[in-house]
Amino acid sequence: MLDLIGNLAAVSGNARLIVDIAMYFGLFVIIAMSINFQYGNAGVPNMGCAVQVIVGGFTVSAITTRLCFWIVKQAGVELLPYASDFDWVYNNQINVSVLTNAYLKENPMLCFTLMLFTLALALILGSLIGWVIAVPAIRLRATYLMVTLITMADASQIIGRNVPWISGGTLGMFVPNVFAFYPGDRTVIMAVITLFIGLVSFFIFRTMLNSPYGRLMRSIRENEITVGSVGKNVVSIRRNILMFASGITAISGSLLAFYFSFVVEANYQRAMWTYWPWLMLIMGGPGNNAGTFLGTTLIVALRRIIIVYKWVFDKFFFFPIAYFERLLLGILLLIVMIFRPNGLIPEKLLYIPGINYRQLVREEVPVDWRAAPKASSKGGGGFMSRLRGKEES
Amino acid sequence: MALPALWMAAIVYACELTILSIGFTLTYLTAKIPNFAYGTMSGIGIYSVYMASRIFKVSPYYGFPVGTLLGGVFSVLVYLLIVKVLASMGGGAIVLTIATLAIQIFLQAALYIYAYWVRSIWKLYTIGFLLKTRDFVFLETPGILYVSLITSILVIVGLHYMLNKTKIGIAMRATTESIELASILGINTDRIQLYSWFITGCLAGLAGSMVPMWFMSSPLTASGMQTSVMAGSLIGGFTNMYGAIIGGFSIGFLEIILTYYLQMIFGAWVGEYRPIIPMAVLVIILLVEPQGLQGLYHRFMATKTGEGILKSLGRGE
Repeated sequence: MLDLIGNLAAVSGNARLIVDIAMYFGLFVIIAMSINFQYGNAGVPNMGCAVQVIVGGFTVSAITTRLCFWIVKQAGVELLPYASDFDWVYNNQINVSVLTNAYLKENPMLCFTLMLFTLALALILGSLIGWVIAVPAIRLRATYLMVTLITMADASQIIGRNVPWISGGTLGMFVPNVFAFYPGDRTVIMAVITLFIGLVSFFIFRTMLNSPYGRLMRSIRENEITVGSVGKNVVSIRRNILMFASGITAISGSLLAFYFSFVVEANYQRAMWTYWPWLMLIMGGPGNNAGTFLGTTLIVALRRIIIVYKWVFDKFFFFPIAYFERLLLGILLLIVMIFRPNGLIPEKLLYIPGINYRQLVREEVPVDWRAAPKASSKGGGGFMSRLRGKEES
Repeated sequence: MALPALWMAAIVYACELTILSIGFTLTYLTAKIPNFAYGTMSGIGIYSVYMASRIFKVSPYYGFPVGTLLGGVFSVLVYLLIVKVLASMGGGAIVLTIATLAIQIFLQAALYIYAYWVRSIWKLYTIGFLLKTRDFVFLETPGILYVSLITSILVIVGLHYMLNKTKIGIAMRATTESIELASILGINTDRIQLYSWFITGCLAGLAGSMVPMWFMSSPLTASGMQTSVMAGSLIGGFTNMYGAIIGGFSIGFLEIILTYYLQMIFGAWVGEYRPIIPMAVLVIILLVEPQGLQGLYHRFMATKTGEGILKSLGRGE
């Protein structure tokens, strides 16, 4: 990876495969960790990750691109008209690839600002969509939530396909290259940034899980009735979790859009962005991040190698390899669920930094058993009778 | 006196969805999980009809019983190999639901691979086909109209009879109420579950067999019906078979008729949004009345008018 950053020539061959695996690992690890945060730790089965990812993608195409056009126009570059739906799609390639990218090449600071702005916006819009899709079913049983979330993913794709001003409809559209100033291959630096964001979100999730709120989440997973009975608002906690994790998931959608420099709804299929991350999570073991990392690494490497060496496999099969991949997905999920129900790395007890567990165990609790009250030998002898006895005396 | 194609399509589709909704509800009652693979299971029916018609060159109706049986066998295999195993390992509702999703992915891929296999051997179109022309015609109307209507009525009457009059049906209802209590009474709940999975699989295969007789079919058609099936079942309240009949029929009708008239009013672009209709119904019902028609019924019967009606029927307390 590090050699590739310095290398300014176009990336190809095996190096290309490495960059690809790194990029997809970064993207999927963000999504898998956020599912782990929701399902593994709070028991919220978010089967609608594809919605949040697509929102991240649409943020880039619908908002960042318009903003970028506006800035470039203010700077005096003559852009082709882009106000109507037709112009928006038809002039898009020249507007972005020729005119805007040339301007961005000379303004690295603008590039950074645009990218950070997009990521922040994706976080906000993702949380918003998390709130919206949670409305119908968050109060009901978890299976109802799954039913609505799964259908939402299709709905978002249909809307993206038919509303051209979002992402150019079926044709898709180019988005500004925020690394136009970088002389080498854009994908390399994109992969590095994605991995970095994955690392940051790992620390954010870890901090969240080790906080009192994280322990509250785990207690909701174990028994929500008990948590409700001690005065916690289970529904609002669940909604907060869904919103927070949705925001982080949306970031990965934006990163994918920048990686391709292209947004089209077909890139954001439900199977790709919901089922595969779930397989990674369940394979690695829900409830711990180490398992998520392991599952993501295995599955992403497997998939990218299948896709890259597709031409080899296609010689042996009479059907497109994509269906074999799906078959593998289904079978792997079932096998893992039946034979390794806890995943490759089972969940461990929560470790909270700052507390010396060894000392806690070693410390002798000063209890004088002779002084402790004895249970009365006459009938009953429960806790209540002991209380009553005290009252009498 | 030929019926317009629009109404034909609406009735046939509504019949299919009725049967599927009943099956989905029955699965939800016995296994307490939404079976996401249910829509895709009807793909088995689609391809058995295809085989009968295009490979064996007989009337597609010979494929109906085969598809029904194959659907039942697949469903039993799913229950024995996956659902039962996972449930005995202590998997909760979420784990089982994810398992049905995995089955759905697997089955859809398997159907595609099967379609490509048929294509590579017999050199036929297997993805996106229509068997309308191989249907019989009676009184200037395609036979599928009669077949679908009669089949769905038979299914409803048969299930009603079975659940209320036969020993197995009553045992099945007892099992859906409480597995523990039913097993205390000496009902073999394992076998009852097996029967109900078989019946639901049969229903899926039967409904799927009707699809290619009037609609363009591919493996994706089958899984595309999943949302409509869930919406139909949800209208009935997820736990009521009779509600599912009304729900499935109305969703099927609504999807085709509403899309048509909206297209007449707003233009052809509305057609693209057809899959949104069942989703919208799903969301609206969850927001307004999560128990569906059943909840409405209970709420209505709790009012004074409802009590009066119950009394006049002789069922009041």
